[in-house]
Amino acid sequence: MGRRAVGLKRVTESGIKNFFRNSWLTVAATAVMIVSLVIILSAVVLNVTARNAIKELSKNLKISIYLKDGATQKQISNLTTDIKSNNAVASVDYVSKADAQKQFNKTFQSDPNLISGLEILGTNTLPASLEVSVTDLSKINEVGAIPNAEKHKSAVESVTIGKTDVKKTIDRAASAQKFITLASVIAAIVFALVSMLIIFNTIRMAIFTRAEEIRIMKLIGATPTFIRGPFLIESSMYGIIAGLISSAIVVTGIFYLGMKISNQVEFAATYKYFTSVKVIIAMVCGAISVGILVGVISSLMAMKKHLRLKSW
Amino acid sequence: MILLDRVTKNYNKRGTALKSISLHVEPKEFVIIVGPSGAGKSTLLKLLTREEKPTSGKIIVGGIDYETLKDKKIPLLRRKIGVVFQDFKLLPNKTVYENVAFALEVVGMGDKEIALTIPKVLDIVGLTGKESNYPSELSGGERQRVAIARAIARQPKILIADEPTGNLDADHAWDVIRVLEKINKYGTTVILTTHNQEIVNKLKRRVITIRDGQIVSDKAGGGYK
Repeated sequence: MGRRAVGLKRVTESGIKNFFRNSWLTVAATAVMIVSLVIILSAVVLNVTARNAIKELSKNLKISIYLKDGATQKQISNLTTDIKSNNAVASVDYVSKADAQKQFNKTFQSDPNLISGLEILGTNTLPASLEVSVTDLSKINEVGAIPNAEKHKSAVESVTIGKTDVKKTIDRAASAQKFITLASVIAAIVFALVSMLIIFNTIRMAIFTRAEEIRIMKLIGATPTFIRGPFLIESSMYGIIAGLISSAIVVTGIFYLGMKISNQVEFAATYKYFTSVKVIIAMVCGAISVGILVGVISSLMAMKKHLRLKSW
Repeated sequence: MILLDRVTKNYNKRGTALKSISLHVEPKEFVIIVGPSGAGKSTLLKLLTREEKPTSGKIIVGGIDYETLKDKKIPLLRRKIGVVFQDFKLLPNKTVYENVAFALEVVGMGDKEIALTIPKVLDIVGLTGKESNYPSELSGGERQRVAIARAIARQPKILIADEPTGNLDADHAWDVIRVLEKINKYGTTVILTTHNQEIVNKLKRRVITIRDGQIVSDKAGGGYK
């Protein structure tokens, strides 16, 4: 082994040894770091879940333009052209009176009373319609206004934007997502700061208790890297251990809670995504890197303040 | 070779510790520095190990001019100078072997090389068989000899011993001094500070007397005044 490799090995060993030596401070520092990493990870997971759910729900959100029974083929195609000229429109489907009847029967096949009630009327009272879907939800009202124009009045019976309950759900989900993002960013910052403070203090204590050792190291010709190394390894250990535990907690949570909601269409894809091996590994690595980053930054600050290596 | 040319050290609060000291020590010399407490002996040694910077004057040790010495190179300088203190400065939670090994680990020596070196230096200081003892299990004289073993393990050109016998009774003090003489015979420059008249008189080496930050006498084979 080269001198450099021997040095690296010794620095790592003594860093790990020191980590296990300061027992209760180690536990406190790791625990707070676990809490902050769990918050950060959950925030990411909840955000992705909410965003996917909103996207999934939005697919169901359509504009239904109900046509008058007397609307001519020409009027309908004019209206279709007008709607299609808007960039936000994804598709326009014509649903004839007969199709509407079929759909109605299909939807309410479990309710024979309702169907027989309709049959009593004798004729098909359901209107023909144009089902319009959009690519951009924020444009839905704009698109919905097109059939209300004066020139289409004679063909259009009424316009419904979305199924009202779905739209409400989406709006609620969107505002919940905004709240989750804000709350989790604040909580993550607060806990990250707290864990930085605790690690800062842990390393500061370690520097004080090992002041004599550090002075001897300086006097017998240890390089600053050799003196700093163990402290950096020690603080990285907080990150590694906290990263492992916190991602284990969050992944367990995903499996446990996810199983209950994964049969709902708006969560199925997200559940599959978060339970894939690739994403789990990414979460573990991400949590560990954030943990190491927080640990290293705070121990560098502690060393800058208390390990006066400048004045040899 | 150690060269000090008109070296002055002022401390901000405590005033002047050294006033324009000039000194020349040849390689392999054994030099004793005497003088009352607060005369500036410790300051002089701290200047040599570069724990302190002089206010003015030139210091050259082993061809290294301290004025142009970059902070990054200080560890390399320290590896050429062994230091022994009155209070030993051993690590209490490490054994004799580990304390000596520590000095070698710091400079990146491999474990096998360390295992070969330590028996040799423990033999020089007469501590063979005490490898696995902790400092608390040793007498003062033995502890100081561990400190010397640690200082010489890297084969420094210069060994600085700051009052190494200050905490020891006469018998143990002589054990330590004999070890220093042995090391000097092997070719290491030794700079020793002491208050012990008997040691100074019996050693018959070059004696430099410092008083109030100035060299008041510098005699070969001299005695204590």
